[in-house]
Amino acid sequence: MRQPHMRASWAGRRDRRGVAFVAPFLLGFLLFMVVPLGYAVYTSLYTYKIIGGTSFSGAANYTQTLESGQFWSGVIRVVVFGAIQIPVMLAIAFFFACVFDLGVAKYGTFFRTVFFIPFAVPAVVGAVMWSFLLEPQFGPFTRLVNGLGFSGTNFFSPSLLLPSIIVIVIWEWTGYNMMILYTALKSVPRDIVEAAIIDGAPLWRIILRVKLPMVRPAIVMLVFLNTIGALQLFTEPQILEYFQQGSVSVNYTPSYYIWNTAIAANQTNLAAAMAVILAVVVVVISALSLIVRSGRRAGARRPVPAASPRVEARRPVPVQRRELV
Amino acid sequence: MKRDRTSTRSRRTHLTLGGIAALAAVTGLAACSSGSTSSTTPATPAASAASGTSTASAASAAPSPSSSVTVEAGANCSSSSAVKITFWAWVPGLGRAVTAFNQSHPGICVTQEDVGAGDPEYVAITNALKAGSGAPDVAEVEYDELPSFIVTKSVDNLVPYGANNYKSDFVPWAWQEVSQGSSVYAIPGDAGPMAFYYNSALLAKYHIAPPTTWAEFATAAATLHKDDPSAYMTNFSAVDLQWVMSLMAQDGAWPFSYSGGSNVTINWTGPKQMAFAQYWQNLLSAHEVNATTDVSATSFADMDKGIDASWLSSAWGPSYFLPDAKSSLGDWRATALPQWTSGANVAANWGGSSYPVFAQSQHPKEAAEFAEWLNATTASWNITKTAPSLLFPTYVPLLNDPSYKDLNNPLSGTSNPNVAFTGAASSISSDEWPPFMTEALNEASTVFAGVMNGKSTLQSAFTNFQNVLVNYAKQQGFTVST
Repeated sequence: MRQPHMRASWAGRRDRRGVAFVAPFLLGFLLFMVVPLGYAVYTSLYTYKIIGGTSFSGAANYTQTLESGQFWSGVIRVVVFGAIQIPVMLAIAFFFACVFDLGVAKYGTFFRTVFFIPFAVPAVVGAVMWSFLLEPQFGPFTRLVNGLGFSGTNFFSPSLLLPSIIVIVIWEWTGYNMMILYTALKSVPRDIVEAAIIDGAPLWRIILRVKLPMVRPAIVMLVFLNTIGALQLFTEPQILEYFQQGSVSVNYTPSYYIWNTAIAANQTNLAAAMAVILAVVVVVISALSLIVRSGRRAGARRPVPAASPRVEARRPVPVQRRELV
Repeated sequence: MKRDRTSTRSRRTHLTLGGIAALAAVTGLAACSSGSTSSTTPATPAASAASGTSTASAASAAPSPSSSVTVEAGANCSSSSAVKITFWAWVPGLGRAVTAFNQSHPGICVTQEDVGAGDPEYVAITNALKAGSGAPDVAEVEYDELPSFIVTKSVDNLVPYGANNYKSDFVPWAWQEVSQGSSVYAIPGDAGPMAFYYNSALLAKYHIAPPTTWAEFATAAATLHKDDPSAYMTNFSAVDLQWVMSLMAQDGAWPFSYSGGSNVTINWTGPKQMAFAQYWQNLLSAHEVNATTDVSATSFADMDKGIDASWLSSAWGPSYFLPDAKSSLGDWRATALPQWTSGANVAANWGGSSYPVFAQSQHPKEAAEFAEWLNATTASWNITKTAPSLLFPTYVPLLNDPSYKDLNNPLSGTSNPNVAFTGAASSISSDEWPPFMTEALNEASTVFAGVMNGKSTLQSAFTNFQNVLVNYAKQQGFTVST
């Protein structure tokens, strides 16, 4: 919370400088965010028909989307996807972050880099690689699983497709999440850990009761980031469909459905309305995350390490909180 | 051409492989672009040396699946006053014909670009049409896709440019597919007449004669599968909509009726259509046909290993199968498709392309001249019938050419399979494609997926598909009859 007197004395000068600082960003933001968004909203108010051309249709595209079972079944699918993928991935990421944080792993830096590499691989390449690995006829994983006695396993079948995508996405993103958690863990003040050790707390309790609560803001942030990512799931299903035609339905995820509606069905206007609705859902979730986080900060009684690890690591927690907030 | 969308979709595994190579090349050698690959700018002088065979081999090695544009030919026009024509097509080796055209027509300079096979090209054209500029003068457009461009008045009537002079050069059904009323909207190119393409050694092993009726076919399928539960008479690929529709056409169960304008008939649920679905569903339910995707690594492997004893193939099919065939080389024969009525002679077409001139073109006369030369001259066909293009003609002089009928390939020994395919070419009736096939194909892969994994029947998929298409057509402003 900023101090009132500060705001008053700095107000005049800060405003003009602020504008200069913000202008380049604002220009890009206007050109590449606001204008396209506005255009999408504008487009969504019209309807193109092969017979009859384009005409104003008001909220018709929105009504159609809101009533579309196909659209919402895709939304439900990505929610289910997120509900499984995010906790599993964060658990794995937290586990390895702890391992590296404890310094018990030999060649820690090397392995941290190895874990991070999947994130550096473009999602398309990752999905293509996994598609080959899981391919029903020649894929080594398919053969392996068949060899283990589960014959007839097809990772592209309706029952295994979502789990396959979950595995692919976990592979792609665990390293990234681990790095963020690792950085947050590094910021946990040593004295607190030392105090816990002196008090005789076992390792697992230090991790679960001391460290985990202290990196909670990082975890909350990751949950929201990953939720937004899950809602926008697109690349993996799109690539998998190339490998097994018909395995991924046109409405598998909202983004994939929007793409199919715009490109294959040539219903750009309807797709624009869907995109706006999806954007609203994402914005609501983002806003929710901000409210939750700022609410927590304002009302927090217990020390909670915040985003800047270096500042935090070196200072007693109470002081640091006052400075940062 | 052969690359109807069914096959491009199912062939995407191969294309993706190419994509990976391209990606590796991009990441590794970001700054290095080869002579024949340039950006959207046509006709760079640097590529002028690359004519004829070298462009052809480049094209066959990497049919560009992405949005990157490959200039295939046309950089060798000497005269700067020549009328410039942009031509989009994905047939490998077609650049050889473009080069030949440019050499014999000094006043016209055609540049061929490959913006992707099928869908990617149509999307690029549709975007250009929306934007009001950027469409090619001439493009390769599959027969099923042409009505979508006619209904939006995006392609020119070629009659004023003398198209009708060439009418008698083409099989009537192909001419019909590019015509509406008295207007002709494209010049027909290649086609895919279908035949019963079978492994003669395998059928002989099970003492099965090539079936002449579909009733015999069903009996043979049962016999074969009983003798060897791991083998099938053929595969049935429900998700390959164009292939399914070709078989429906042969059965007189064509599900659409459309002759331009805003009226369209959609009928997937009539008695004919349901009987067709029933026939194949019975075979699927009894596991007497193999539910695998067509024109795929899987289906070719199954054919070569003797799991699938036959393929309801198009004339271009063998050239796709050949690279994957090893142990069955020499065993493959072609004969007419089984008939629904004993003694009849009904064939079907699967795939093929036409060459329209787009309304955006500044030089429709020259563009039409090129489209006509490319498809209605022996000079052009003498190039495009050979590898790597291997186009199968709708051009009658070549269809009637005894040396073309006698062509052989290693799959068929010396059995002259083209006799069956060229024979089929003259017993096809024209199909009336609805002007929304992109959407139909897109939905089909979802609607028919359940048939492949046994979760739904072909009959219920037909019923679903009917609803999906009727809804879409109504939304798009059509007056729909069922």
